[in-house]
Amino acid sequence: MVRLITHNLLACHAKGCTSNNFPLQLKDVQLEQREAEFNPDFLRRFMPKLDWGALVDTARQLGDDSLPLEQPEMFDDDFLRKLHHVLLEVSVEEGAMVCPNCSHIYPISNGIPNMLLAENEIG
Amino acid sequence: MPQTRYLIIFAQAHYDFRIPELLSVAELHGFSIGLPDQPEPTRPYMVVQLEHQDHAILLASRCILIKSVCEFYAQGSSYDELHAAVRSNKQEWIQHQADASFKFTVTGFKCSLPAQKQREIIESFSYMALAGKIDLKTPDIILSVFEEYDSRVANVEGKHEQPNRFKQVYFGRLLVEGTARSLAAKFDVKKRVYYGNTSMEAEISLLMANQTLASSGKLVYDPFMGTGSMAYTVAHFGAQMFGSDIDGRQMRGKEKQAGVFRAAAQYGVAARVVDLCTFDVTHNPWRCGDLFDAIVTDPPYGVRAGAKRLGRKKPPTEKHIASLSSQRVGALRPGDSAPYIPPTKPYELSNLASDLVLLARYLLRPGGRLVFFLPTVNEDYQAVDIRTMLCEGMEVVANSLQDFGSWGRRLITLRKTTNQSYDPPTFEAPSEDVDELDGETAHVPAHKDFREKYFQGFKPAAE
Repeated sequence: MVRLITHNLLACHAKGCTSNNFPLQLKDVQLEQREAEFNPDFLRRFMPKLDWGALVDTARQLGDDSLPLEQPEMFDDDFLRKLHHVLLEVSVEEGAMVCPNCSHIYPISNGIPNMLLAENEIG
Repeated sequence: MPQTRYLIIFAQAHYDFRIPELLSVAELHGFSIGLPDQPEPTRPYMVVQLEHQDHAILLASRCILIKSVCEFYAQGSSYDELHAAVRSNKQEWIQHQADASFKFTVTGFKCSLPAQKQREIIESFSYMALAGKIDLKTPDIILSVFEEYDSRVANVEGKHEQPNRFKQVYFGRLLVEGTARSLAAKFDVKKRVYYGNTSMEAEISLLMANQTLASSGKLVYDPFMGTGSMAYTVAHFGAQMFGSDIDGRQMRGKEKQAGVFRAAAQYGVAARVVDLCTFDVTHNPWRCGDLFDAIVTDPPYGVRAGAKRLGRKKPPTEKHIASLSSQRVGALRPGDSAPYIPPTKPYELSNLASDLVLLARYLLRPGGRLVFFLPTVNEDYQAVDIRTMLCEGMEVVANSLQDFGSWGRRLITLRKTTNQSYDPPTFEAPSEDVDELDGETAHVPAHKDFREKYFQGFKPAAE
């Protein structure tokens, strides 16, 4: 269950891949709705760490356009609930994440992404 | 602020963890706690000062090692001393004199007191002239006497006839029973739907969770997740949990739904396990730092499971590397019988510990905590061992020993004291000879090469 919050924090880390290595492109994904605890404090505290553009783009690719393109300055309850849904309840059960730069494929199986690198990819 | 004294009655376990736990829970709730000038954490009773009764109740509801908390009235090394102190502290208990129904309890630590003796002790308090009814079932107040014996004294014959042989006697009113202790049964590993042979015992997992200051709205990370023992207790206290491990099989188990998710569901905290990821922490995919409120982990130290990182013991040749170019993790190539799994090499414990501290400085928010176990050879341990792995911006909050005889493990709690952002660590092992820079042989940390020392039975290396 790669939730989009996790997707927003993971970058390709293969040897030499240091630019254009985020966000990873989701491919052949099987989505699932997962339960998560709505916690406005958690969301507010986490917001500064988000790459907002990457989150909105990824959500739209998955067919969810509930979030505005620009991160709002005021967070009302309605916005926080939408953010909660996109960030924590949309999750990828099967599929892969592909680096836009080096094309490394990180497979996702039973909701757990495999971010290990091959021997020739480590520094 | 006026301070009131409270008597803490500790559970008989993990005494080195008692004070760190009190201080952590006080910090979590934002109140201060006045400890004795020279605290003796091995003793079962401790008198502390708090600003407010609610603080005592908060401690009892969260500290795993608190059995109960009393409003403190008096103590003494004899009953004469105790009674004199009770008389002079009348303002503390006078409010209960008029009409509260009451009950007395008398408890001996390392000594059981016969009923007849208990009755005599209770009757010796008659000068308090309590006017309320005695009610053994539902009293308004419970007044408690605690006699503390040293184990040495308790072994002396006829101790019941020599009531002054105790070390100290305490008197107070029961305020609250500790409620967090029962969590150790709830998180009992044997009753968990998923666990492994390296799962952390429940009581220690709870103590670790308290050291992280876990609470609602926080994000906590375990980089050596294994079967997820600390995730359940951290999430129980309200925090969101993230886990990773180089070996996904530990987190998954054999069923389709990963074992960690199943156990989290058993405890009703599945909604707080954010995600699990398979990766080597020395080659990690974190996009940025300053992410987590705490990092909590029990690094594999080589007895039942050795720590591993990606790579080979002997560096591969250029030619060999060139031949690897088409390999991809988890993928089948023509002619392969099983998906490719990258090779791993051992991760020596003192390197792992230093790397973990650097990683924590990168990944923690300012003020965040790193809580982890470090196994160590007790005879070789020196306080400097902990400093050898510290770096600028990280300071020690607590260091508690769980003693297994010739070895032990230390629960280390560090705090990130800096607001500065640091680069991610490089995870390059230091060269072997840095220890002898000054021509003198530096002290080798007692956790270095722990696995080898363990299997050698902790004998000094042969000359």
